[in-house]
Amino acid sequence: MGGEGWLFLFAVLMAAILLFTMVFFIIMFSDLECDYINPIDLCNKLNQFVLPEMIAHAFLTLCFLLSGQWLAFLLNAPLVGYNVNKIMGKNHMYDATEIFRTLSGHKKESFIKLGFYLVSFFYYLYRMILALISGEWLGW
Amino acid sequence: MSQPLMLPQGWEARWDPQSSAYVYVDQNTGRSQWELPTQPTYPSAHPSSSPPPADASAAAPAHTRSGRRHYPTAQIQQMYAGGGYEQSSQATQQPLAPTYPDQNAAPQFFTPGMAGQEQQQPPQPQYPSQAPGYQQPAYGQQPPVDQMSQQFQQMNMAQKGGAGYADQKQYRNVQTINLIGMQPDVRGLEAPPPPALLPPNASVTQSPYSQPDPSYQRCTLNAMPTTQSLLNKSKLPLALVMAPYRSFRESDGDIPVPVVEDSVIARCRRCRAYINPYVKFIEGGNRWKCCMCGLSNEVPQLFDWDQREGKPADRWARKELNHSVVEFIAPTEYMVRPPQPPVYAFVIDVSQAAVQSGMVATAARTILESLDSIPNADKRTKIAIIAVSTSLHFFSLPAGATEATMLVVPDLTDVFLPKPVDLLVNIDESRAAIESLLSRLSDMFQDSYTVGNALGSGLQAAFQLVGKIGGKIIALSASLPSLGEGALKARDDPKLLGTSKESSLLNSASSFYKTFAIECSSKQVSVDMFLFSASYTDVATLSALPRYTAGQTYLYPGFNASRAEDAIKFSTEFGKVLAMPIGLEGVIRVRATRGIRLSAFYGNFFTRSTDLVALPVVPLDQNYVIELQLEDDLKAPFVVLQAGILFTTCYGERRIRVITQAMPTTDNIGELYASADPTAIASYLTMKAVEKSMTSSLDDARSLVTNNLGTMLSIYKNQVTSAAGASAQLAVPDNLKLLPLLCCALVKHVGLREGAQIPPDLRSYAQALLTTLPTQALVPYIHPRFYSLHNMPADAGTIGENGQVILPPALNLTSERLERHGLFLIEDGQNMFLWVGHEAVPRLVQDVFDIPAYSDLAGGKATLPVLDNPFSQRVNAIIAKTRELRRGVYRPHLYIVKSDAEPALRSWALSLLVEDRMDHMSSYAQYLTTVKNKVNGSS
Repeated sequence: MGGEGWLFLFAVLMAAILLFTMVFFIIMFSDLECDYINPIDLCNKLNQFVLPEMIAHAFLTLCFLLSGQWLAFLLNAPLVGYNVNKIMGKNHMYDATEIFRTLSGHKKESFIKLGFYLVSFFYYLYRMILALISGEWLGW
Repeated sequence: MSQPLMLPQGWEARWDPQSSAYVYVDQNTGRSQWELPTQPTYPSAHPSSSPPPADASAAAPAHTRSGRRHYPTAQIQQMYAGGGYEQSSQATQQPLAPTYPDQNAAPQFFTPGMAGQEQQQPPQPQYPSQAPGYQQPAYGQQPPVDQMSQQFQQMNMAQKGGAGYADQKQYRNVQTINLIGMQPDVRGLEAPPPPALLPPNASVTQSPYSQPDPSYQRCTLNAMPTTQSLLNKSKLPLALVMAPYRSFRESDGDIPVPVVEDSVIARCRRCRAYINPYVKFIEGGNRWKCCMCGLSNEVPQLFDWDQREGKPADRWARKELNHSVVEFIAPTEYMVRPPQPPVYAFVIDVSQAAVQSGMVATAARTILESLDSIPNADKRTKIAIIAVSTSLHFFSLPAGATEATMLVVPDLTDVFLPKPVDLLVNIDESRAAIESLLSRLSDMFQDSYTVGNALGSGLQAAFQLVGKIGGKIIALSASLPSLGEGALKARDDPKLLGTSKESSLLNSASSFYKTFAIECSSKQVSVDMFLFSASYTDVATLSALPRYTAGQTYLYPGFNASRAEDAIKFSTEFGKVLAMPIGLEGVIRVRATRGIRLSAFYGNFFTRSTDLVALPVVPLDQNYVIELQLEDDLKAPFVVLQAGILFTTCYGERRIRVITQAMPTTDNIGELYASADPTAIASYLTMKAVEKSMTSSLDDARSLVTNNLGTMLSIYKNQVTSAAGASAQLAVPDNLKLLPLLCCALVKHVGLREGAQIPPDLRSYAQALLTTLPTQALVPYIHPRFYSLHNMPADAGTIGENGQVILPPALNLTSERLERHGLFLIEDGQNMFLWVGHEAVPRLVQDVFDIPAYSDLAGGKATLPVLDNPFSQRVNAIIAKTRELRRGVYRPHLYIVKSDAEPALRSWALSLLVEDRMDHMSSYAQYLTTVKNKVNGSS
């Protein structure tokens, strides 16, 4: 398996992890709505994952850029830009005092991200399989 | 105070569409009157229990004097003079037919076992369905007389048909008026909201107290739309405006909140709603049906038992079935821990600026004088004092000692307590040490020349002291916190003012105060901020702490205790804050009939869950706004909204105050408009606008107010008056006729006003007030009161029949009313301006100020002398009355404004005259034109 295959194998794994993170976020938000968790605990918990998620995604995008996977890079670039913009504006963290007012927005954002990661997961899978098929099977 | 919703037994308020006022009908005798039945009534001039003839022209006995002839003139007066409020309602009196003779004359007694459902609910007579007189009111033109009498006939018939309740299709009639070219009647600002016209027998006891006073809770709409799509279509906001922990003053006619003495708390098993006047008893009174979720619950065994007397009690006399506002004494199930004592920790800035301004001395003296008035009924109250400059000064106040020992902690980054005990002490046990410390506090730091204020670290230290118990931290700061945790920078860049970047100055600069607030809230600690600085103190950042911990911010710009007025104002307000009977560890939960959902909360608290807000300390007279949405269609004829506030009183009792409000449902858009409450809508728009000014910009906040008003009125025009196309008039429902004035005043209020001259501190403080003042104080704060004193009526300023000082009639806020020789008072509850015209006669100046001539008069903050002449005494009485008129701790400053000197003060006073044009802000007439264009543009 060539570099491309390995890259997309890695991407598939990353997309799966990000996918699970988003599912976790959405579950937590629903918990908040049902009053199973209080906003302070929720924000403390979720804020631990906000930056790692963004960094993981940015790293993946950087990998695509460095390996010259332009399509995959362009697919991910807008989200990286959006995240960077949020960090610059210092509103990437969940604020316990405002959480109920912004909850619907956060949920919507999480769902969109979930959908995005799902689409990219299948795209990476497809590219990985493609790389595997066209790869030099005889090579190993 | 007028309370139209609180009618005595057997009385009913009915909307009279002809005169656009409420007529009060005694159902037992058929007597009708325009005054509230609680007030002295006519000496029964009405022929009792005789239905009036169907012909309206014959129905004009003795005191209905020219009821018919007078009507058109009355309407004209209302339209063009705008002052016809009282005259028209007085003139169009007409007797109304009796409806249910003796229906509820005798109190209903409950006999267990015997009583069926029918006995508790009087049979509802089946009246013929009568076509209601629902016609499109044509504004700006007089209805012909024959049409009028027809209306009267219809009305009489409809009233015979059971006051329109038997006929479900009869809607409250909405009267349209045109606002363009009309001067608003400012006296209507204090008018009570339109009553909720509930179906008869909605309340099981028919008690006159089954609706709360609007000062406790009011809703923007007094008729609930049945579907969310109807609400969306009408564009009217749906929100609860409430001040559940409200002070009461017997002198104002307030009744104390009735307390349910026994600990029988009947609640619905499913939705946890408290039993209230709107539940239904079923199965012979053994079960009750919840009015919110419809679940049938068992009546508790001791519900009909008087525990004190040890004998059966009359169920219908129970307070929770008669009063919409009641307090329950909560048993231990409602406690997480035993009731905690009230705890006060003072964090006092003792830097050079604070000592020199006299703040430290005044504060220490006020605390010393208030030691007896701090709530301490059960001798458990604890107190701690921390002085803050470049280091933290703790005071050890051991019980029995006569002197305090100072302990200095210079470490500001890692705050620790120098001593585990004696820092937070019982106010009685350590009284001697506390008194000696407070009397010396200012002198101790008199010679310190330290510049720097480690307020954040001081707050953290106070939090460590009180965090185990919970309580109140009172921070007094006279300079910008510059050291330790939460240090701030002076970021007020004058270049930003008036631009879209200005909103960044209204937001928190440091996240410390927000995260600290969350920490405080979870440990039941509340923070009050008293800010004094002569220069920028970043109120926006510091006020975040009170905002999320249910505290309050107080600002004294340019405070200097050597000026008596400043010292009196601060020590009065501070003293009132200390003496406030606070509630501890409070939570507010609002429950509503199934289908209604709470969507957003506004106010000073921390939102802990989708329907629960936490208030570590419940202050008196704070306003909260809760936005509502409809999830499902409402099927019931009426809905119930219930706010429950659970708190520990400052004398160690856990209590639940329950406020229940009921309102009918409607599927008619016209009725929604007819039931809208302009004060509550203004209060809601204020909250929304302040939020918008922080998240977006002040420009957006102002257009939010105007656009909301515009869409509301354009929907009204299109859907209710069905007028199409552009119109030269601005059609407004009669009950909302003052909403445009309030909106106009709101966008010109200092908290939202356009302009580059308003310091960010003042703006933030104004916004803090806008979001916390109860409606009673909020309305004058937005739309100040304006009196003319030199030509006030003879009885103004004297004691009236009810023992209260009579105030002169309020004037419209326009400088047209200012006369060159006059004396005027403008007040908004926070400041008072005594305007003296430059041609004031020497006699007037002499009588009021004890100064020979106008030219000798000095403007600015002042105290009026009490002189030995009737005019001076009346003016002083009016000022004193104004100061204590409203609930709250505020004591407004009095400024003397000379009409030809001190331009800054003069333009400040003039900026309160909101009907005028100011700089580039439009006048009221221009504002109406803007709104009219929006209305026409969108149709």
